[in-house]
Amino acid sequence: MTSSTAEISFYSSMNAGRIALMRFYAYIGLALGIAGLAMYGQSGYNEDAFLYQILSMQGLIWGGTGALLGSGVAMIVSAMKPAMLQGKVAGNTVPWFDGMLLMVTLAVIAAQFEPAREFITYEDQSNLLAPSIVMTMNMLLVFSAVTYIAYLFAPAEFIGRLATGTAYLGVFAAGTALLLRWHESYLFDMEIGHAPVSNLYEVFIFMFIITAAVYLSFERRYNARAMGAFVMSIVAAGVFFGIWLDSVGQGLIKPLVPALQSYWMKIHVPMNFVGYGSFAVACGAGMAYLVRYRLEAKGGTAKMLAVFPSLEQLDQLAYKAVAVGFPAFTLATILGAAWAAEAWGGYWSWDPKETWALIVWLVYGAYLHARVSHGWHGKALAWWAVAGFLVTVFCFLGVNMYLSGLHSYGRLT
Amino acid sequence: MANMPPMQSFPELLKKLWQRLGSMSLAIILLMVLAIASVIGTVLLQNQNQTDYLQQFGPLWYWVFRSLGLFDMYHTWWFITLLGFLMVSLSSCLWRNVPKFTKEMRARKGTISARALARMKLQEQWPLTSDISIDSLQETFRSRLYGWEFKQTEENGVHYVRADKGRFQKVGYISVHSAMLIILIGGWMSVEFGFRGNMAVPEGAKGHTIEFLKGTDTATLDMPFEVRCNSFVIDFFPTGAPKEFRSNLTIIDDGKEVLTTDIIVNEPLLYKDVYIYQASFGDGGSDITFKLYNMDGTAETRTAKTSVYKSWTDEKTDITLKVTDFKPYNVENMANPGEPVNFKDLGPSVIYEIRGPGLKPAKIKAYMNPFFDIKGKNMGSWLQVSLTGDAADFQSVGLGLDLTNPQEWKLFHAFMSHLSTTDVTQEKTKRMRSAFKMAMQDVFGDERPENFQEMAVRTMEAMQTLPQIPWPYIPMLDDYTHVYYTGLQLAKDPGMNVVWVGSGILVIGLCIMFYMPHRKLWLVIRPENDGITVVFAGLTNRNHMAFKQTFNDLFTQFDQDFKPKI
Ligand code: HEM
Repeated sequence: MTSSTAEISFYSSMNAGRIALMRFYAYIGLALGIAGLAMYGQSGYNEDAFLYQILSMQGLIWGGTGALLGSGVAMIVSAMKPAMLQGKVAGNTVPWFDGMLLMVTLAVIAAQFEPAREFITYEDQSNLLAPSIVMTMNMLLVFSAVTYIAYLFAPAEFIGRLATGTAYLGVFAAGTALLLRWHESYLFDMEIGHAPVSNLYEVFIFMFIITAAVYLSFERRYNARAMGAFVMSIVAAGVFFGIWLDSVGQGLIKPLVPALQSYWMKIHVPMNFVGYGSFAVACGAGMAYLVRYRLEAKGGTAKMLAVFPSLEQLDQLAYKAVAVGFPAFTLATILGAAWAAEAWGGYWSWDPKETWALIVWLVYGAYLHARVSHGWHGKALAWWAVAGFLVTVFCFLGVNMYLSGLHSYGRLT
Repeated sequence: MANMPPMQSFPELLKKLWQRLGSMSLAIILLMVLAIASVIGTVLLQNQNQTDYLQQFGPLWYWVFRSLGLFDMYHTWWFITLLGFLMVSLSSCLWRNVPKFTKEMRARKGTISARALARMKLQEQWPLTSDISIDSLQETFRSRLYGWEFKQTEENGVHYVRADKGRFQKVGYISVHSAMLIILIGGWMSVEFGFRGNMAVPEGAKGHTIEFLKGTDTATLDMPFEVRCNSFVIDFFPTGAPKEFRSNLTIIDDGKEVLTTDIIVNEPLLYKDVYIYQASFGDGGSDITFKLYNMDGTAETRTAKTSVYKSWTDEKTDITLKVTDFKPYNVENMANPGEPVNFKDLGPSVIYEIRGPGLKPAKIKAYMNPFFDIKGKNMGSWLQVSLTGDAADFQSVGLGLDLTNPQEWKLFHAFMSHLSTTDVTQEKTKRMRSAFKMAMQDVFGDERPENFQEMAVRTMEAMQTLPQIPWPYIPMLDDYTHVYYTGLQLAKDPGMNVVWVGSGILVIGLCIMFYMPHRKLWLVIRPENDGITVVFAGLTNRNHMAFKQTFNDLFTQFDQDFKPKI
């Protein structure tokens, strides 16, 4: 048995059968426990410090009890109905939860190395830890993109694994940095603290996580490594944009304007970026499709063709990514409307940001219909996926840069 | 003429049109046209001042755009018609597909024809010996499939097990498309039966009329109750950025006070189906007292009382001060570029326009407090002056003197008069020093204040700057009684809940559509002469890749299961 098959079989045994099922239910129990804490906990939900409520002894008790109960239920139910162990949902979702748990753990460890509170001032944020983790993330993600591209030309297993490995590390660095930043915002002052989804810089990091994670899950399941060159290039471009944002002062932690002080922000914004991130993956698949199409048309380099997934597969992958993104984006837009109803007095105001969200949604809606109806085939749809992402980019960047409106707290500089 | 299609009757034509409206290609076109149309409204700023548009586009394009309604695009007849088309198209495709899909979902044929079976890409078969019991094969098949529905049939000696998962996937299609209809209907109800407008209520005052834009004009609407603003408060972060805007409101219905409560951004008040939101704030007409410092060397001052949004005219000089705004706080970053931020409150300020015969009109922001530099040194009173009337052109003007200290004003004049009587043949610094000494004596006698050296510096500074002031006097902010107005938004929206219901159905429908594909598996067991043939086949309508993997995994398992155990 080679090391790699050992690794794979260990991995698949962890994510199948009873172990996966129990873990899955434990995570659900954990989430329910924390929801219970928010609703019925001793001091109730505290908008300003929910992070610490979760990480306190009280959070441990609520969440831990939930997790234990969850895994207990899984044990009993699966003993009664062994066929349940054949189910796919648990096995497919637990790696995501494991990843999140790992990020939280990493962030908690990193938090121990923060400078003491008396050395932290709002005016000078340079001694905080998260920026250096972000720097590490930047390097990892860019390195990963370069390695994925190298893999296209030199498809050695070693290079491919290096690319995948650094992409994973980049995702974990990103998650750790964001969680740490959340914690850091509270170090200045309890009043300043807020979830790290309040400005373009933070949200960009979140988008790297989503894009890379959606892609990596495809890579693992469908063996689509050549697509990484395209998806991770998009991420790398985002990294450079993030570096620029930081250089103009967008990287600083700032208190929230009153309009953003709402729990809606914590769900609306991340949900939107689940959509955007998936659309980025669809764009990557579309680009890979177009490149492969060109290569095939030229009848050329079989070596490179060998690493590419087939046209059929790339087409399916783009669709799959949109199938993840479209419901998420729909939900995000609805949540945005609900928030607008609460904060501005109307669920729809034809504000430029809202309208562009609608435009993005219509473009992908039309894409989905074009797929189902006859007459539209692979290449046109691949172009559509790429163009759709350009519209998406305009929605989350262009609108902030060029158009004004009620969403102007997302303004650049 | 023989090729001419037969004449169609009107109902037939209508039916054709109805079907055309429900076609997928029309849906794609409609969605894209709506997307493109929506772009226009975001690029062209909506509902601005007409004269601004005229200036921006010139008369020709202004009239073209205006006649297309592009300045209030989302309410034009053609945009609404597009939405109407979408509704008709949705209805038509539901009309056509719902019966088809419900029939499909109900009818579940247990058998499958050899032809249909042959067409399936995913299929495997095993030739088995006849000593394997058909029942056990079927049992194995079922036990491997968790969460599937089974239907077992036998026809002409052939045994079929059909397994279905996601049999109700088409419910997703129906939900999504009817949800869109519901949302559009809700939106129409909001527009037709709801309202939304703004109301500015100064602290202590009452309001009951909202203003809103109707097309490109402003319209008003009376509410069935009155709102009194008892107070408006802003809380700040330690950094000086605003943290919370809070209004304390009392609702007065039929002359009676029915309820008093606070509202903040994100936490509105609901009364009689009308939501009341904290939307903005501003000055509610604060009382302002100016102190006018005469520039004629007489050391005289006067006071003038007025309030924000009012003008005060001086009968003597015909000078008018029009007060446009007052700010009780002015939090600014005092750090130089590149240094860590350092927020400080510069104190109250008033903004006014000064006009008068022979004077260039100017916009002035006068601060009540003198300016202290980063080290805390008093740099004297100051103004910001804009000669264009544009806030972007404000230039800081330091007056030198700290006018909040009346003795400094006296000192300056004493100094000027002593300076004019000193011996001109003396050296300049010497002259100034002796003049200042005498002025100090005049104002303070023998008890010199501790900071007299700073006063000396400021007096010298004032000697340079004050003569350059073009107005007969400098109006400075002397006193104020601050009043805010709270900007409320009032809205009633009877379509909102309909929209929420539609939205819920939409999301659930999308999840069903995308994540519960209808998957079918068949196990066909056909006894042959010298054994049995088992065919395993599968079909899905979404996510073929994942299904292929599932199918192959199952095949590997069955391959083991069905092998005769040795
Ligand atoms: C804003 C409006 C609409 C939305 C959000 C919407 C959404 C969707 C979605 C998400 C799908 C699934 C595509 C997939 O599974 O890949 C779909 C399929 C479909 N839509 Fe729409 N749609 C809309 C308007 C329309 C209209 C106006 C028509 C009628 C002409 C239509 C006809 C269909 C049909 C026939 C299908 C295929 C159903 C199937 O075979 O499963 N849609 N739609």
